[in-house]
Parts: sequence; C-alpha cells; structure tokens
Amino acid sequence: MSLEVPTSTFALPAGLDPSAVVALLDDRFDLELDPPATVRSTVVDTADRRLGAQGLELTLEGGRAAPTLVLRDGAGSPPVTAPVVPRRRWMAGDLPPGPLHDRVAPVVGVRALLPLAALRADVRSLRVRNGDGKTVVRLRLTAHATLDDGDRPVPLESRLDVQGVLGYPRARARVVAALTGDAGLAEASGTLADEAIAAAGGDPSGLRTKVRVRLAPHDRTGEAARRVLRDLAGMVEANLPGVLADDDTEFLHDLRVAVRRSRSVLRELRNAFPPEDLGRHRRALRWVQEVTGPTRDLDVQLLGWDALVADVPADRRAALDPVLAVLVDHREAALRALRRALRSASHREAWASYRAFLDADPGPGTVPPDAARPVAEVAGRRIRKVYARMVREGGAIDDTSPAADLHELRKRGKELRYLLELFGSLWPDEAVRPLVRSLKGLQDVLGTHQDREVQAAHLRGLATELAGRPGGPDALLALGVLVDRLESDQREARARFAERFASFASPAQAGIVTGTFG
Amino acid sequence: MKVVATYNIKGGVGKTSAAVNVAALAAGQGLRTLLWDLDPQGAASFLLRVRPKVRGGGRKLVRGRSDVADLLRGTDVEGLDLLPADFSYRHMDLVLDESGKPARRLRKVLAPLAAHYDLAVLDCPPSISLVSESVFDAADALLVPLIPTTLTLRTFEQLDEFLAGVDRRPQVLAFFSMVDGRKRLHREVVESLPQGRGDIAATTIPAATEVEQMGVDRAPVVVRAPRSRGARAYEALWDELRPRLGL
Repeated sequence: MSLEVPTSTFALPAGLDPSAVVALLDDRFDLELDPPATVRSTVVDTADRRLGAQGLELTLEGGRAAPTLVLRDGAGSPPVTAPVVPRRRWMAGDLPPGPLHDRVAPVVGVRALLPLAALRADVRSLRVRNGDGKTVVRLRLTAHATLDDGDRPVPLESRLDVQGVLGYPRARARVVAALTGDAGLAEASGTLADEAIAAAGGDPSGLRTKVRVRLAPHDRTGEAARRVLRDLAGMVEANLPGVLADDDTEFLHDLRVAVRRSRSVLRELRNAFPPEDLGRHRRALRWVQEVTGPTRDLDVQLLGWDALVADVPADRRAALDPVLAVLVDHREAALRALRRALRSASHREAWASYRAFLDADPGPGTVPPDAARPVAEVAGRRIRKVYARMVREGGAIDDTSPAADLHELRKRGKELRYLLELFGSLWPDEAVRPLVRSLKGLQDVLGTHQDREVQAAHLRGLATELAGRPGGPDALLALGVLVDRLESDQREARARFAERFASFASPAQAGIVTGTFG
Repeated sequence: MKVVATYNIKGGVGKTSAAVNVAALAAGQGLRTLLWDLDPQGAASFLLRVRPKVRGGGRKLVRGRSDVADLLRGTDVEGLDLLPADFSYRHMDLVLDESGKPARRLRKVLAPLAAHYDLAVLDCPPSISLVSESVFDAADALLVPLIPTTLTLRTFEQLDEFLAGVDRRPQVLAFFSMVDGRKRLHREVVESLPQGRGDIAATTIPAATEVEQMGVDRAPVVVRAPRSRGARAYEALWDELRPRLGL
C-alpha cells in the first residue's frame, strides 16, 4: 500500500517575476496565500549526503531564538521538526527523542550532521482550495534565494514546490498543467539544497569513497594510474578538514582508505612510474597511514565497545568503566599526535610534492617500462599475479600456521580488492563480480581474525595502566572476559577460513581469472 | 500504530470535538495521524471539510473488499488524514453481525494502515452495540467525554462494567467535557470526584464559544484559535493522553 503523494518542484527562470506565477495561479484557482516571510536556513546533512541520497532534506531554521531542525521528505509528508541546541555538529544521539530522531538516526549512522550551506529566501505558502474551501493542493514558493555566504550573497534559482493532498490527485494535475502549459515552467533539475551546496563550493552528491574515473582498456597505464591517483588524492584532501576537526570517525576511515588505495596503485603499477620519485612518495603515503593508525585503531575499539560489552554480565559491566576511560584518554592523545603530524610543514611539503608528481606531464626522457602499455594489460597481469600468489600462500595455511600468515594473506587480498575496485570496470561485470564476491567473503573472515587479534592485544596492553587507576583490579578481572570474547571471535573466524578460501581458490574461480585477466 | 477511540454511549458530549482536536495536535507534533469518522452523521468529516462519502460504502470497507488507501483523504491539517464517514455506517451493526468474528472487523480494516500511521483516532457513534465492541477491540485507549451531571458517574461505571467482560480491554481515560464554571452542579460534580483516579483526566474541557465556533470555521480549534482557552484545554488533555499511549 502506498500513501505517498507526488511532489514536484518547478524552477522559475531568472527573468520571470515570481509574483507573476502567483497571479496566474490566483486567476485560475481559489488560492489562499500566506504573506511572504524571509527565512534563513542552513542545509544540514552528513558530509557524504546520506539524507540527500534518501530524498530527505534537513534544515536548521528558527534563528538563534528557536533553533529547530526541520525534516522534509519530498513524498508529501508534513515537515517533522525538533528543537535543538545549536552546535558545530550533531551526532544522532544529540537529537531529542521523537519522530525526527527516529527518521534520521538510522540513515546517518555514525556520521555527524554538519551545516553544509546557509540560505536566505523569501518563502510563501499557497493553498489551492476546492468548492468546500478545503485545501486540495499545497504550494511553497521560494523566491529571491541566495547563498548566505558572508558579504557576497550568491543568487540561487527561485522554485515552486507543488505538493498534492491525499485523495485529490486531479486538483494537483490541474495545477501542474497550468504551471507547465500556461506558465511554461519546467521541473527543477536538483534540489535547492544541492544548488546551495554547489554554490558554496561543495559537491552536491557529498564526499564519496568510490573512484569516478572513466577508463578504457587501451589507455596508457601511466596516465590512467595518475588519473585514478588524482581522484584518490582529492578524497584525501576532502576528508582532511573533517579529520582535523574530529567531526566524526568516518572522515579518518575514508581518508585512510583513499591513502591505502593510492599506495596499492603505486605498488602494483610501480613500473608505470619513474623509479626515482616513486620511493619518496610511497614513503610519504606510508607515513600518513602510520600517523593515522593509532587513532583509527582506537575508533574501532570505541565504536565496537557497546557490542563488545553487551555479553558481559550486567553486574560486572560497571567494572569496565575504567577501561573505557583509558581508551578515551588514549584516543585523545592519539588525535593530538595525528593533528600535529598532518599539520606539520614536512607533511604539507611532502603532499604538495606528491600532488605535483601526479599533475606532472611525464614528458620525454626515459619512459618507465609499463607507462605506455595499455592499462588493461598491466592491471590484468597484476590481478592475475596477486590472485595466483594468494592461492599459493593461502593453500599453505593450515591449523598450525601462525596468525601472521593470515594477516599477510589479508594484506594481499586488499591489494587484489583495490585493483578490482579501481580497474575492474575494464572487464565484463559478470567476470569481475563473482571474484569480488568470493574475495569479500574471504576478506571478511581474515579481517575479523586480524581485528580481534589487534583488539585483544591492545586491551591486554592496558593492564599495567589500569592496575594503577581507581577500580583497576576489578577492571582487570572484567577485562579478561572481553579478551576471552575477542579470542573466541578470532577462533570462530579462523574456523571459517578453510571454507571461504576453498570458494575463492576453486578451479572454477581460477579459470575465470585466467580467462578474463590473462 | 496506536489506536485511541473517543467514546460515550450518549451523544452530544464532545466526542467529535475531542477526536478532531486530539488528532490535529498529534499531527502538529509530527505524528502521522489518521482520523476515522465512524459516525454516520459525519460531523468530524464536516469539520475537516471532507465530503462524508466512502466509495462502495461501509459494507465493502468492513468486509475488506475496498482498498482503504483509495478512501483516505488528506485534510487541511498537515499530517492528518481522514477516513471519512458514510451514511451507510448507520447499518454497520448489521454488517458486522453478518461477518465472521464481528468484534475483530475494525481492527482488520486498520491493520494495513499500521505501517503508515503512528496514531489512529476513531470517532465513534453514540451507542453500545457491535460497533462499540469492535471499537473496544481495536483501541489501545478509550477517551471518554463526560458531561458533569449527577448521572454521569453512573454511566461511566456502566461502561467500566461492560469493559470488564471484553477480551481485549483498552485503557480508559475519561475527562469532563463542556464544563460550565458558572453552573453550580458542574462545579460540584467535578469537585466531588475522588482525587487521583487514574482513569479520569485532570484536564477539563470548558464549554467555550470558540469550541462551538468550530462548526462555523470548519477547522479544529487548536488550529484556528491555538491560544484560546478551549485549545489550551485540548492541548493539556493530549499531554495527559500521549504518554499513556507510549507515543
């Protein structure tokens, strides 16, 4: 059953006076108009526009006197509001309990809600009524909109939202016909929020983690790899302010993924780059990964904390409070170190040099051996080789193998995954997708195995520090329960390894790899 | 979806006013709200400017042969939709009597709407009948308006006795309605109530001009005159009811 009511948004061309549209509607329909009001609002969403992607629009309205978040869904539902305390950002847990929280929280997850663009507009509500004086269509005119960006307001398109009322579809159709026919209006291509974010210099689709580079099989590897790396470097730069501001944990996660993918490209396609520069840039990227690692490890511990302690008997859970306090203290220290490192002059120089390397025209001179070769040939060869190596190394793993062997295999798996993610579009989807699926299945197991190893080792390492804190002895006892739980998870993951690896290394899969990337 | 029904065996006691205003307040607070006007007189539909007509009539609706989504109408209050009245509802007792498990029928009609609404308010006709039994079965709470007269408490106790015999007993919140502070009897009845009865609201709804004016304005008083005495009284009543519904 669908009770959705269609909503359309029409763009008003720059030369058209919005009042002329109102006059036209007033002439055709029984129109009730509210007086226009100047409204200041701020578009609020996660940095990766999770709400926008779901067709939801969240704005902060009401000024300083009554700051209120307003959620509109574009499906005919009335706006949902919640009073809020003004902040630089809101996590889902900062929103007051109620319908707005319930709609927003599952969509934003662990990401912060951030102000993305400030707007000012003359907003006017209009209602079309039927013979009983009943509202049958609602309209909202947003005119003279500007991006409220300091001293230089940027004009935005005027818009008219037309929202039907449940049970009165014909009235809405008549209004739409008048607007498209008599007034000659066309539907707006995006939302006002999208337009404002673009005018503020942002990307309306939000920060992304997927590389958007169109590759062709015969592109020269050196140039293709540089295009991919430039896109990844853009992601690192886009996430950096959020990392330094510590707005939410995902900025750091996404920055590290972009760095790791970049390192992978530089390593796997190393023969496409001049060797004299390569080592320096690879070291610079590895350094970024190292200085950001401790904070991320602690984020993983803290994000998983509630789930981890859920199994601890309630009467012993309070004993773990000192453990949590230590983790929070450690994260603060790690973040301070991360900020010092990423704000340092040496990092800025190294990054500028890396950027120059990506933007440089390789020019004449000695051409690295793979630079001019077709990217499908070079990347395909690497995919084949990394896959073959994983099959060889994974096949040697048995119940007696040390954890380090599984960790090494996981690292290879990441290399393969990044090659497939970044260059997989060069081959048929039906060949790439099953490989990605079986690789993902294997990596999930290897990831759990390694993460639990790191977490357990980290918690064990807190013992000395905990012993000296109030409540320390009790915390140490309860800590043992957590470490047991992590080790048990790790054993379970290891028990699933053989089955997942068998699927990944099956003759059928190997045949597809040879046939596709050979 | 929580279901609350405004109910009294007697007519003219303020059921429709309570239903319409409580529903409008809920919608105003962001709850997706449905009002079902079960009274064939269609007063709630009239107040919300919706024609009291249901395609196929009450028989098809109650027997599950109408797509209830096609019968709903959005109202002038954003977030409040109406399942309108129909004159054929006057035969609803007969229709229920012909159906299997008559006491469960209204709950079945509401079931597909549960995913779309947070609250359904049923405005019931004055009677004690199969329709009432089906309403009691569907409702999580009954909102019972009482005019402060000598026989009022007796009527309320009769309802209580009746509910003791039903399978699925809704919680009850009664409130004094159309209270005229100038009348000694009204004051005495309201004051004579034992303090702290959990099933009688602390809020009383006054006999106010602005509440009567709703029939002329064709809009809930909480929308048309939100600062009036009547509107504030309905707000206080809703504030008492909402936590009982777990909303």
